Amino acid sequence: MRRQFRVALLATVATLVAGAASAQDLITKDRVGPADAPKTLSFRLTGDGPGNTDPEIAKGYQKLFVDFVQKHPGWQIKLERMSDNIGQEQARMLEQTKSGTGPDCAAVDSFVLALFMNAGVLKPLNEYFTQAEIDDLFPFVREGITGKDGKVYAWWWDTDLRVLYRNKDIVADAPQTWDELKAAAIASKDKGMEGVLVNGGRWEGTTFDWLANYWAQGGKLVDDKGKPIFAEGENREKFLKAVNYFKDLVDSGAAPKRIATIVNYDEFNAAAAAGSTALFIGGNWQLAQLKATLEPEEFAKWTFSPIPGPTKDQRSTGTGGWTIGAFSSDPEKVAMCAGIAKEIYSGQGNALQQQLPTSKALYDKFDVFKSDANKAFAAALVDGQARPGVPIYPEISNQIQVMMGDVLTGAKTPEAALDAANAAVQAAYTRL
Amino acid sequence: MTMTGAAVAGGRGDIARTSLRGRIENHPFSWLLPVALLLGVFYLYPIIDVFRLAFTNASLRGGEEHYTADSIHALIANPILLDILWTTFVFTAGSVIGQQLFGLGIAVLVMRGERRRLYGMTALRTIVLIAWVIPGIANGLIWQMLFSEAPFGAINSVLRMMHVQPVAWLSDPNIAMLSSIISNVWRGTAFSMIVFYAALKAIDTTLYEAASVDGANGWQRFRFITLPQMRPAILVNSILITIATLNTFDAIISLTGGGPGRATEVLSLYTFNTVFRNLDLAGGSVLSVLMLIISLLLAVGYASMMPRREPNE
Repeated sequence: MRRQFRVALLATVATLVAGAASAQDLITKDRVGPADAPKTLSFRLTGDGPGNTDPEIAKGYQKLFVDFVQKHPGWQIKLERMSDNIGQEQARMLEQTKSGTGPDCAAVDSFVLALFMNAGVLKPLNEYFTQAEIDDLFPFVREGITGKDGKVYAWWWDTDLRVLYRNKDIVADAPQTWDELKAAAIASKDKGMEGVLVNGGRWEGTTFDWLANYWAQGGKLVDDKGKPIFAEGENREKFLKAVNYFKDLVDSGAAPKRIATIVNYDEFNAAAAAGSTALFIGGNWQLAQLKATLEPEEFAKWTFSPIPGPTKDQRSTGTGGWTIGAFSSDPEKVAMCAGIAKEIYSGQGNALQQQLPTSKALYDKFDVFKSDANKAFAAALVDGQARPGVPIYPEISNQIQVMMGDVLTGAKTPEAALDAANAAVQAAYTRL
Repeated sequence: MTMTGAAVAGGRGDIARTSLRGRIENHPFSWLLPVALLLGVFYLYPIIDVFRLAFTNASLRGGEEHYTADSIHALIANPILLDILWTTFVFTAGSVIGQQLFGLGIAVLVMRGERRRLYGMTALRTIVLIAWVIPGIANGLIWQMLFSEAPFGAINSVLRMMHVQPVAWLSDPNIAMLSSIISNVWRGTAFSMIVFYAALKAIDTTLYEAASVDGANGWQRFRFITLPQMRPAILVNSILITIATLNTFDAIISLTGGGPGRATEVLSLYTFNTVFRNLDLAGGSVLSVLMLIISLLLAVGYASMMPRREPNE
């Protein structure tokens, strides 16, 4: 009996060791699946994957990828990690896919998805998703991934939004309007704070976060044909009003002049940790970062609310996120790519990283999205607005960044800065 | 081996050597072919392709590519270009002058220290070199932390401790340019120091001895011996660091991103933004050609100032 037990124990241990070794063999730094698998899919991804810098998230993705590849015998996935310079990476990938040397499948930033769709390099994914799944996506998401022919050209699996973070000990009530935010920021300076912090340097975050103030008034960047119209008629007035709002924050001392140098959301975390600010406009993902950075009693002081608008009823927030798109002409590879989007990222990946899902059903499916914070984020998505999916958008964004720097430092008046930005954008548009 | 045999063997060797030399001299092309191919594929072809793209409407967005002079016309008509060129001039001139002055100062300091057999001269050289091996992006990030205007910014914190008003290192357009030059000088000084150190070592010490006999003081020795003797090194160094500074964008992109506004957007960064943000391949190619022309003109200008070798030298 004892002998039988020993044999059984040995067999179990051997099986477990072999199983563990087998799982390790199935995933390396740049490959998932057996090295000798006959079929290969190249997948270019961001840090959202087995190489994530957070060990727990990396481990979770490793398991998801291994489970996926085990369900698809005969396949190996070659992982190609992008650098953190996303703009450059996406531009390079666009060029590669146009010349036929790009990956089979890749993560495509939602705000440049239109460029890939217009270049005709993405393959339709309709047959891999049910109409019910497509219909359940948030409207701005569904609109963003749908081409002119009505087909779905990528799967937008996570989204994010911007909110106003505040330290409740210093700013007790959530500011609802621009004026209330300015008053609260000035009042916080009496308690040793440097005022409200927002992005204002030369990077996409500056444009994206500020656009909420323009969109809240109903302003439009482009018309239905994709022509830039932000400097025309009513849009011009709304645009200048939103620019003057930021200028006034700096001129009045409600925001420090240094916001013209902020090019990273991490600056807000650092300021919160240093106790030098009580107000900042940041992304929803920063709540988890604050939790990880601050002592529990300090974190308890922080909360968030929707971005203030010109009036209480005029609200908006920018929404971004990542999509998965297929570039291969091989239908089998397109199916695998859709599988990665559906089985790894959409749902499981959202829950793993606590990144907001893009369809309503997933908020009910996973417990992590039932927390008060995530429910509040989901509710705020109602005011969500995505950047226009038009080829001229990157240039509009670039010019808004330049304009913001010129206005916040006093180098140009808002009117002159807007005219300069519009001239540059129109010149670029005629060259498209 | 008999004498005759040895002579024959030696003669064969001479013949073989003469034959080899003769073959190289008579048919140099076949020997130069590998390096010509390498240079052609990796250096010449990209340059030719950039010239070709400058005469197209090429874009990373897609669309049909055709030949046109529109991209060149658009560049000439662009009102921003003059601002960008001025910014580039200020950044390059400030960096080149700063790197040369500090490089020369440190090289002279090290030389004097070595002559007096002071300890720590090797350590001093090594410390200066560390800045040089730091990648541009890391250099920008280091200085971004130092220049940070947040209450916890490094330099401003020190200034506050000394009861000095904090400086708007990066948010003031004029000071942001100065900050960019400081960070670039810090990184590039080591290269100038190496060039000048080597040049100083090569100066004949008897010149200094003769000057001392004639009663020349330290400044006169530096003015009338060191500087004239180092003229070729200074000119060569000027060419190299001017071209390197013209091409610098990594340190600026991580320090200021070209901002605030366009206060620190130099030509190389503008070119990068044109291609990778505006996705305008043709426009970026025109700017690249402009950069190439500026670099070539500067190189030719500097080279014309180089001392000529006399025919009997």
